[in-house]
Amino acid sequence: MRSLITLAALALPLSAQAAETGDLVRFVSCPVYRDADSGKKSGCWLATDPATGRRWDVSQSPYKPNWDFAVLVEGRVSAASADPCGAPVLDPVRTSILPDPCTRHMLPAEGYKGRKFVLPPRNIQPLSVARPVPPGPYAERVFTTYFEFDRDFLVYQYDDFIIDNAATWIRAAKPKKLVVTGFAATEPETVSGRTLAERPEIARDRAEAIAETLRRLLPGLPVETKWEVGAKPTGDPDADTIPGQSQRRAEIRAVF
Amino acid sequence: MRVTNRIKRSLPLAGAALALVLAVGARGDAPDRWWSPGEGRVLPASLDYTNEHGALRTLVVGGPLKTRGHPFFEPLGANGRACVTCHQPADAMSLSARTAQERWEATGGKDPLFAAIDGSNCPILPQGEKASHSLLLERGLFRVQRPWPVRAFNGQPVTPDFTIEVVRDPNGCNSAPGYGPGAGNVSVYRRVRPVANMKYLLAVGFPFDPKQGYALPLDPDDGKPQSGNLMADNRAGNLRLQMEDASSVHLEFARALTPAQIKRIRDFELSIYTAQQSSPAAGGGLDTMGATGGPAKLRDSQPGALGSIGTPVWSEFAAWDRISAEDAAKLTPQQLAFRQSVARGARVFRDRTFLITDSAGINSRMGFGNPVRNSCVFCHNMTQMGNDVAPGQVDLGTTTQPFADPWDDLPLFRITCLNQPHPHYGKIILTYDPGFALTSGKCADVGKITLQSMRGLSARAPYFSNGLAKDLRGVVDYYERRYKIGYTEQEKQDLVNLMSVL
Repeated sequence: MRSLITLAALALPLSAQAAETGDLVRFVSCPVYRDADSGKKSGCWLATDPATGRRWDVSQSPYKPNWDFAVLVEGRVSAASADPCGAPVLDPVRTSILPDPCTRHMLPAEGYKGRKFVLPPRNIQPLSVARPVPPGPYAERVFTTYFEFDRDFLVYQYDDFIIDNAATWIRAAKPKKLVVTGFAATEPETVSGRTLAERPEIARDRAEAIAETLRRLLPGLPVETKWEVGAKPTGDPDADTIPGQSQRRAEIRAVF
Repeated sequence: MRVTNRIKRSLPLAGAALALVLAVGARGDAPDRWWSPGEGRVLPASLDYTNEHGALRTLVVGGPLKTRGHPFFEPLGANGRACVTCHQPADAMSLSARTAQERWEATGGKDPLFAAIDGSNCPILPQGEKASHSLLLERGLFRVQRPWPVRAFNGQPVTPDFTIEVVRDPNGCNSAPGYGPGAGNVSVYRRVRPVANMKYLLAVGFPFDPKQGYALPLDPDDGKPQSGNLMADNRAGNLRLQMEDASSVHLEFARALTPAQIKRIRDFELSIYTAQQSSPAAGGGLDTMGATGGPAKLRDSQPGALGSIGTPVWSEFAAWDRISAEDAAKLTPQQLAFRQSVARGARVFRDRTFLITDSAGINSRMGFGNPVRNSCVFCHNMTQMGNDVAPGQVDLGTTTQPFADPWDDLPLFRITCLNQPHPHYGKIILTYDPGFALTSGKCADVGKITLQSMRGLSARAPYFSNGLAKDLRGVVDYYERRYKIGYTEQEKQDLVNLMSVL
């Protein structure tokens, strides 16, 4: 009996257990906006895990919620003790907008300050700032870009930073061609009682979106596209330890 | 002592009044104020025209310019118009509704400005009747006929992901024979965008268009990234494409512009700068007492800088926050208060945050979230100009319900999204002007209109692409209503005063 209980506990999502620093939390719920005001972009996003009833601060996502729609929350419990938004913090965290409608809800600041906006570490310089030429030697290399769940939209201050760096390296390395492979997490998974799977065609859409951007940034360089479904997680550091994020990707391979 | 001070204080006022009298083309001096096609005048290197907030100055680099034979100033097409017809120096190289009214009165509606093709509500209407030109006369709107289905974006074919139906057609240009989606076109009504300070509108700050999720498209002529800030619906990405579009449609020019004509027009458009130069309310020049208003600063500055990481937007007037006692003594109390109000307005513009909601291009599809707290400068972010450093296609709701006011004299379209619903409006959208969606073919872009320059506003009322704000206060009132900002009366007046000196 005890072993059955242990097995059952292991099968539970981590979010249903006591969350510890670094634990992965994954759930679907309606976001709540807290109108904390510490200046521009300082408002808070909160979301409650329906399995535990625990409310999290998910404000640090590079793509933030729309209060009209549910979000898929994927994040790790932060070691930070401060709760500027009135809830424990998930960081790193991702909040993908899902098509399920939600009732808008906004909380007043209630004394919480939110966070004064600071530029995220992944932000690009204006074109007027010269990019340093990356040192050689140059050999086949892969750059990976990441997406919101079931979307092919290039993420501001995330993908643009990765692609800008990639383009700078590619200009210096002068590969023969680029091969862009789009991936989609098409294997169904149950999250908060609902089955989630990306559409297979989003893999191709991601490849083509990134390829079009590369054709604009690197005119004249051949760019081929491929796509794969059933994407598995990777350990790429730019996915910020979020397995789901690492699945939703497009890889840019520089071929010599 | 009191008398002496009063005299001292009145001197700047007298000087300002004199300056206004000396300004070329004061209201009432119509022959000089209106630039008719082909009249062959010389455009001075510096030219001032008065308006209700003071005087606007136009500078021509390398000027004066002999306009005789110049393709910007000569009537090229069948209807007798030239580019200058709708891009008047006195109106900040745009055209105000008031100027249109004056032309109607001066010519009995015979001026080429009122050409049936787009200077009337629709060519099928009786052209001699004033009512047939009501949109131009009352709100400064010209008819813009776009192809349907969307055929091209910088030469690339586009298949729209939405359908369009005509709900209401008060003027006939979306349902009469030869007109409307069934006949392969859609007519919308828009204000003229200024042709000046062009280096700023062409400037590219970053390599990406974050609102569309791609790197910037490349100019088909020179292969460089395009700013995406030229036209309301971004249908032309460079000046050649814009002038070819304008000459064939607005001028009814049957032939193609020659390369030499394109070069001359382009060179002129890149040489002309305009901004408000003086203000009686401020007691004189907008480049005095430490301020750097006026077009000379525009002419001499580098374009494309993002205010948030460099020179703050409208910091041209920061010095008026701390006018010295010595300078203050040269002003009347009202003039001092006005200058301080302008400086406050610049801070309100940059720092007074509010919740921005349901605005595609801001709240979607970028990751800022819906809502997001920010200020005017979030979008109006380019130093010296207040346009968007990124391509500025944003939906403020000015053309689309439920945010747009009920304009019974404009056509109303029903957009049905075929794939994903619009992130804020849903599957069905009612709009007077789908805006950028008529170029991109995307339902998500319905209602997006490209931000434009904020310079020379005093010379070119009314405002917004469909002229919904008849004056500067109307602009502030629209934002207040749209976003429930909660501006104080003082903040509203400060913003109006700021905009009046740009």
